[in-house]
Amino acid sequence: MIEKAMPTEMRSGFLPGRIVHLHPTRLCNLACLHCYSDSGPQHKTGLDLESLERSFALLKAEGYQSISISGGEPLTYVDLLPLIERARAAGFRVTMISNGLFPTEKLGAAASKLDGLAISFDGMAEAHNRLRSRSDAFARACSSLAWLANNGHPVAAAISLTRSAISELPDLADHLVALGARRLQVRPTALAGRAKTMADASAFTAADRARLYLVVLALQQELGDQVQIQCDLAPVHGLWQQRAAYGNLLASCDRQGAICPKDRPLSELVNPLVITDTGVLRPIAFDFNPCFDVTTIETLSQDSLARYKRQGLRRLQTLIGSALARLRDGAGVVDWFDYCTRLSEEASAEL
Amino acid sequence: MGVNSKQLSERLSKRLANYKLKDGVISRIAERILVDGLEIRRFDVCIYGICIDYFTDKIPRLDGIFSKVDVGRVEIFPYGIIDWDRFLVRVGFGVDELEGMNAGNRPGP
Repeated sequence: MIEKAMPTEMRSGFLPGRIVHLHPTRLCNLACLHCYSDSGPQHKTGLDLESLERSFALLKAEGYQSISISGGEPLTYVDLLPLIERARAAGFRVTMISNGLFPTEKLGAAASKLDGLAISFDGMAEAHNRLRSRSDAFARACSSLAWLANNGHPVAAAISLTRSAISELPDLADHLVALGARRLQVRPTALAGRAKTMADASAFTAADRARLYLVVLALQQELGDQVQIQCDLAPVHGLWQQRAAYGNLLASCDRQGAICPKDRPLSELVNPLVITDTGVLRPIAFDFNPCFDVTTIETLSQDSLARYKRQGLRRLQTLIGSALARLRDGAGVVDWFDYCTRLSEEASAEL
Repeated sequence: MGVNSKQLSERLSKRLANYKLKDGVISRIAERILVDGLEIRRFDVCIYGICIDYFTDKIPRLDGIFSKVDVGRVEIFPYGIIDWDRFLVRVGFGVDELEGMNAGNRPGP
């Protein structure tokens, strides 16, 4: 275990900021074959706006800085605009990811209130449309991205790739940058939700991760300063060297001068924090095993968080400590948060 | 492995993304270029195969580089008065499958 206590202003885990991933609904106009949250048209319900708003003040006090809204398709959430307004009024930076299929008036109304907006892509037209089971999905997403860029909104593309679509990334990057994307966020498709039912061929091997990482490195060089390109993959040894970023979570209460995790704000311990469409506060990923859940927005209070930090947090500490230890002798590149999520499934099986 | 004129003109990202470059080659490239303690800042093809600029804010440990196979050339530049604690480490790795590709675009390190 790492015992080094870190000042509060330093990082919490391997993310540069302290982020809440909010899924206000799993209602979606698509039912993508690889959807990690298993969203679709059948999920009619959404989170209660008033309950969410009540949670914002406490989450802000716990040190979270940004809320990233996804879903489901956020534009199907009836209270989306007031949600964005109230989150910003509470002091959060608010971003959103959309499939880009809704009319531009609706997208534009949200974009004008947001700090950032990304349109999701899965490859070039054929791969994208196949995964989304809709023949015009790619064309409409491209059209939305171009419309946003042409109307002065800083738009990004969130690119999720199955292994067979890695080869399309250079052409896709060129296409999206030409349309006006100024940031590309690239990640391997998570083997979660509906993606678990896809063919095994879609699962990433170590060589696939290495390939995607190298392609992104090369694209950074080729695209130059005109566009930022980020990848969820990172070298194992690089993460091991930055393990002190989890110093707050793994600090020992016995060490003189150390601040005990139970006395720290939640954002220094759990980052990112997910709020699911059922109101569950969950560490790291939507599909993180529920045995690690923090609380719910209905029961969220200083008392419930104090109880979690005293008792429930231990399980997450053990998991992250174990995951970091495995990095020590590892090699290659890893999707850290997905790696931890898979470990959470193993941990729950051992309970 | 022979390199034809079409491949020579193809961008590095496309060559890496293309599954014609076998998994074993990709794994070897990744193993070579990921060096303990060094952060990749520039990644390009050159006469050796792949040339990489690393940055580090610690005195570079050369054993981490020389433990790799097919190191063609290493140069280390202290940033000196610009930034006392920063070093640029420029390494050329031999990668047969990429050797000579776009060699005219960038000099060797």
